[in-house]
Amino acid sequence: MKLTLEYKKIKRTGIVPGCLAGGILAAAVPILELAVRSEQYTQLRQSPLRTIMQADWQMMSMLNMLLVITIACMMYHTEYADNAVGRMITLPLREEKIFFGKCFLLSGMCAVVLIIEMLSIIFCTLRWFGGEEGAYTAFYGASFASAYMKFVRDLAYNFGYCFCMLLPVVILSLLVASACKNMWVSLGIDVVCLFMATMIPVRYFALSVFPFALPFQILEEANAGRAVQYLTAAMIEIIIIGAAETVFLKVRRAAA
Amino acid sequence: MNIIESRHLTKRYAGFTAVSNVNLHIPKGTVYGFLGPNGAGKSTTMKMFLGLTKPTEGDFIIDGKKYPKDRIQILKEIGSFIEAPAFYGNLTGEENLDILRRILALPKSAVDDALELTGLTQWRKRLARKYSLGMKQRLGLAGALIGRPPILILDEPTNGLDPVGIHEIRSLIRSLPKKFDCTVLVSSHLLSEIELMADNIGILNRGRLLFEGTLDELKQGAAEKGYPTDNLEDTFLALIEEDNLRGGGVR
Repeated sequence: MKLTLEYKKIKRTGIVPGCLAGGILAAAVPILELAVRSEQYTQLRQSPLRTIMQADWQMMSMLNMLLVITIACMMYHTEYADNAVGRMITLPLREEKIFFGKCFLLSGMCAVVLIIEMLSIIFCTLRWFGGEEGAYTAFYGASFASAYMKFVRDLAYNFGYCFCMLLPVVILSLLVASACKNMWVSLGIDVVCLFMATMIPVRYFALSVFPFALPFQILEEANAGRAVQYLTAAMIEIIIIGAAETVFLKVRRAAA
Repeated sequence: MNIIESRHLTKRYAGFTAVSNVNLHIPKGTVYGFLGPNGAGKSTTMKMFLGLTKPTEGDFIIDGKKYPKDRIQILKEIGSFIEAPAFYGNLTGEENLDILRRILALPKSAVDDALELTGLTQWRKRLARKYSLGMKQRLGLAGALIGRPPILILDEPTNGLDPVGIHEIRSLIRSLPKKFDCTVLVSSHLLSEIELMADNIGILNRGRLLFEGTLDELKQGAAEKGYPTDNLEDTFLALIEEDNLRGGGVR
């Protein structure tokens, strides 16, 4: 119900086509990369998924985060621009519900973007690594059905992991956007955080769990233990940021 | 029976008292005019009733429900329009009201009803950001009226309307208690406007309630104090002026 409501609020803002365009742009990255220099990657004897993710995920996740940040800012801009939020808070509705409704909607949009990117990776794998001598056959086996099942399973794990890594960015961007009435301020804060995250050395676990650094992590590069640690960190961050938003809204209401 | 009652309601900001020790008594099924010059504390009082700002001291009861314990229950009974129209500019008037309808879990017909009441039916498909000031004001009113709530809190609802619009909205407010059995708390800084709508009035100046009662009681009291009574505007001005001269403590 709240999700439908939040979806209705973003009508005519360009968020939905923007989200699809952003997903297509990020999905184009591995296609362009492999179209230009496929030889460099097709020679590698490892999982094609790992090859593609290692080569392109940094750029793709950066685009994903920019998209999430922009959508978060626009979502709250619709609330603040004509003071619609002023009307919302006079209704028998908790402001927290508006925030979490937006979180679910933005998470759903992220899932759509990641599915578009998954389709692009399926295409790249089959197009450049799928030959008889290709890495796909070497890694997953010659049986088409069995190889395809294994590949899709790996892909689902990888993108599920990427989705979980993106959720702290979703909730943190929305927290910043909800706190700033001026969209440009929240956009500025988020972009600064994003570029800060690109400078964090990944070898330090404590630093790499910074919410905007998490989406750069890929399952293919992490061992099982480290992956669980990152998933736990993401979950803790989501809980902490969600609680922080609840406290922030209460304090803001009390200080009004 | 009073549907809204406040006791020693006070709101202080750093070094400034916006509302001071206000005891309001708003009878059920009436139009209560809340009168005062700009900055008198009318909007702050209304905001406190809606839980938008927390009282520093005192409390209030709305339809037997106490703030802050029953805040959500109180809001379920109130339709409000505070300060300026608030809406989603990217949505049409109809879509804006539909959002409110969904939150309030009202039937679909509530949107048509609110549009009809405020005369917005023919502009229902126009984007709210393209509305004129008067139309935005009507949209705000439609948002307050949707679902015909038992209590309406309207802060200067005729601002920005043309004379015809002012007359229409005034007549609408006047007719609401009879038509929908609701209570209206309406604020204005114009006595001439309030006297055409209200059954009871409360006059606020510098955060303090100077008078509460009917217009006849106001006239009677003013005559006893030697204020002009031929014109209610003059009575109101004399009351405010005297209070300002008296100082009445630092705000």
